[in-house]
Amino acid sequence: MKKKKLGLWLTVMPLYLFTLVFVVGPLIYMFVLSFCTRGDHYETVMTFTLDNYKKVAEPVYRNTFMESIKLAFTTTIITILLGYPFGYFMAKLSSSKKKIMMALIMVPFWTSSLVRMYGWSILLQSNGILDKILMGIGITQKPLKLLYTYPAVVSGMVYALLPFMMLAVYSSAEKMDWLLVEAARDLGASAWKAFWTVTWKMTLPGMMTGVVLTFVPSMGLFFVADILGGNKVPLVGNVIQEQLTKGRNWPFAAALSVILMIMTSLFIAIYRKVTGAKELEGLM
Amino acid sequence: MKKRIAAMISGVLVLMLLGGCQSGGTAQESVSTEKMASLSGQELILYTWEGMFPDEVISEFEAKTGCEVVYQNFTYDEEMLEKLTQTDGGEYDLVFADDYIIEQAIDAGLVQKLDKAKVPNIENENPMFKGQFFDKTNEYTVNYGAGIPLIVYDPNAIDFKISGYHDLWNEKLKGSIALIGNNRVVTGMVLMSMGESMNTEDINRIEEAGKKLQSLAPNVRLIKDDNTQTALLTGEASVAYLYTSQVYDALNNNPDLKVVVPEEGVGFGLMAGFIPSKAPNSEAAHAFLDYIMEPKTFAQCTEFTGYYCTNIGAETFIDDSKKNMLVVPDGLKGEMIENIGIAANDVHQRIWTEFKAAAGAAE
Amino acid sequence: MKKHTKLPSIYLALLLILMYLPIIIVVVYSFNENKLTAIWSGFSLKWYEKLFQDKSLMEALKNSLMLGLFSCLNASVIGIIGAVGMARVDYKTKGVVEYLSMLPIMIPEIILGMVFLAFFSMLHLPFGMTTLVIAHTTFCIPYIYMMVKARLVGMDPSLLEAARDLGASEVRAFFDVTLPLIMPAVASGALLAFAMSFDDVVISVLVTNAKINTLPIKVFSRIKFGVSPEINALSTIMLSVTLMVILAIVGINKKTEGGKHL
Repeated sequence: MKKKKLGLWLTVMPLYLFTLVFVVGPLIYMFVLSFCTRGDHYETVMTFTLDNYKKVAEPVYRNTFMESIKLAFTTTIITILLGYPFGYFMAKLSSSKKKIMMALIMVPFWTSSLVRMYGWSILLQSNGILDKILMGIGITQKPLKLLYTYPAVVSGMVYALLPFMMLAVYSSAEKMDWLLVEAARDLGASAWKAFWTVTWKMTLPGMMTGVVLTFVPSMGLFFVADILGGNKVPLVGNVIQEQLTKGRNWPFAAALSVILMIMTSLFIAIYRKVTGAKELEGLM
Repeated sequence: MKKRIAAMISGVLVLMLLGGCQSGGTAQESVSTEKMASLSGQELILYTWEGMFPDEVISEFEAKTGCEVVYQNFTYDEEMLEKLTQTDGGEYDLVFADDYIIEQAIDAGLVQKLDKAKVPNIENENPMFKGQFFDKTNEYTVNYGAGIPLIVYDPNAIDFKISGYHDLWNEKLKGSIALIGNNRVVTGMVLMSMGESMNTEDINRIEEAGKKLQSLAPNVRLIKDDNTQTALLTGEASVAYLYTSQVYDALNNNPDLKVVVPEEGVGFGLMAGFIPSKAPNSEAAHAFLDYIMEPKTFAQCTEFTGYYCTNIGAETFIDDSKKNMLVVPDGLKGEMIENIGIAANDVHQRIWTEFKAAAGAAE
Repeated sequence: MKKHTKLPSIYLALLLILMYLPIIIVVVYSFNENKLTAIWSGFSLKWYEKLFQDKSLMEALKNSLMLGLFSCLNASVIGIIGAVGMARVDYKTKGVVEYLSMLPIMIPEIILGMVFLAFFSMLHLPFGMTTLVIAHTTFCIPYIYMMVKARLVGMDPSLLEAARDLGASEVRAFFDVTLPLIMPAVASGALLAFAMSFDDVVISVLVTNAKINTLPIKVFSRIKFGVSPEINALSTIMLSVTLMVILAIVGINKKTEGGKHL
């Protein structure tokens, strides 16, 4: 019996150790760092201060948090609206068609997201392909100035993160027992009622995965705002990145990160509470 | 402290006479070839931005010396300093970066003094750009190019003449300016338009500049540090405040564009090469510096990077059609952007973020 | 009773077209003579030629493949035995550790990059492949762990019991029964993890040294500096390879499909 216990302990050991050293350790260090002072030569001095947090509270940085949350919410909602039906319809396809769809989703996945974003920017650019098409059909007369606008950033975020939502919803809809829906229908429920009471509930955990995989990255994907937004949407991710590189203020970057992390964790916790979903369900 | 370019233009004349010194360079060539032979089989770790040297120049050096050039790149100057600090001035043999970061690297003791005997071609350097704030005694660096951000506009899209920074605030330009993403340069431009030094440490003046910058927000179409000129070429923007290399690229693709040297004056910056204090192969680094300082090679590099030429000898080798873009025009009045104190810098950082937000809100 | 409407198919097709549009643009522009994407000046293969001469890009590709492979290997070992073990232990710390190990994919990448940058500098770990692999392993583990865990939940425990009843040791039972059963989950987890690692720029750029560039880092700096036609060419080639592999897999599946569906 003792041997078995030891054996079990050995199996979880690597996970425990790795998590402690390379996840918990760095996070604690980040926390400590956020209370440190920056020296006169941009170095980090181990003197306790609350200045970094006071700085986070300045209107300009508070504003970037608000902007980030706003963008993340917008992105997530649009992603759900577009991705949920996709995953749902896909799950209803025949198994050979499912495989083809899966393959079709995987291909963009394996193309660098930066390159795709770049392609997206070419599409949106003034006198670009979209403009040429729209002007060709006569829908618009002048080039739309789409690139470097807020909608451009949102579209880029949605574009980058949509596959996650599609796959997450698909995986739970696929596993679902469709007989339950039929049973509900047999009992006289309308198609909508059956959907809400059965399908929606059953696919909620999958969507939860999708929401986390959309919301969380959208808080930090700074290069989308860079490439598509013309740098006019200052997000927390951009500010952290700037402070790490050009601003060389690590303690401040750490404080921003701490707040950002608390916010995302809080969001996930609230979502879990509301939906009752316990954990992230496997993708695919 | 501040060296005005205008004051030094006269120096150019003196240097014109030094053109004859090239013969001296040839005399020493045999020496350097000898040295180069000893580099065979070695490695030179070159650390700079992406796309700073034409492939031909690198392969020619490799062919001449048998020394392999390992080209590594960074995206930001600060990233370079960070890595250099981590390695304590080792690992990299030769670095090309911006002036202000070199000052910090020198202060941190991460740069070694050049052995000028090993870089005879250094005499081709344009003295107008020497002895600047980051290397006052000319001991550590070799200039590789000068950048002077200028205003470029599409005369077909704008119906008035732009002559200086103040024109950018014109209401007709609503949503049509493309700006480079360098906060010191852009805020510096605002400071200059206020008649202030770009390097002022007066917090009040910087805050004022911040306010003035915010009022520019409605006119701003995009802020982007790289490839900003593309916006001008696609018609995304009709006016742009661009780095030299971008001005060069823009004009090469659309000669109709108009370049404005702002009447308020210009800010300029230098890129320079230096050898880290513990460079594993400083011999090869010296050889490479000497090689690129050869006028012909330097001209090749300049035409490739699109920065203003800092090598007097090279000027004659630059293609005539490109001279107007690559040889510094006479009578330029300008100021270098220097490092400023941490408090002033923090204000700069903040007003920059505020500006970006305002530009987004003004959409 | 079943109503057949074309609407879902149209919807699926539309969204797919939208997803592919930017990729098609990149492919088309890889044949553009002009360096600038703003201008089309004729068909050319010169960027492909340039690509193959570009040592640094090829090196970056190799690094990225290696990084993805090592990280997935590490993450698979830790994730698989971790998930199998966690399913059977009842430590008080289990929930917390599980949550913490999932954190890397539940916090924005930039935070992960920032903490590793700070942490590795504090430890004076030399930046390079090692730090890259460590950082990537942390965010690869969750994908594999999650998949395996989900698979284990759906697994018939009597199978394992039967194996043990037949006298198989724990280790034997793991290799002979559990592992083959969870293999599909491991594979999809690892593939996903590899794709994430292969695409990561935010974290990589902060934890590497100048010598080791990964492909996304290279792509990022190229796109920024506007010398991207070679990147378009490379993307086109990689896209073709992916397509071929996927088509091959679909093809094989079609042939061997005998109604069995695990």
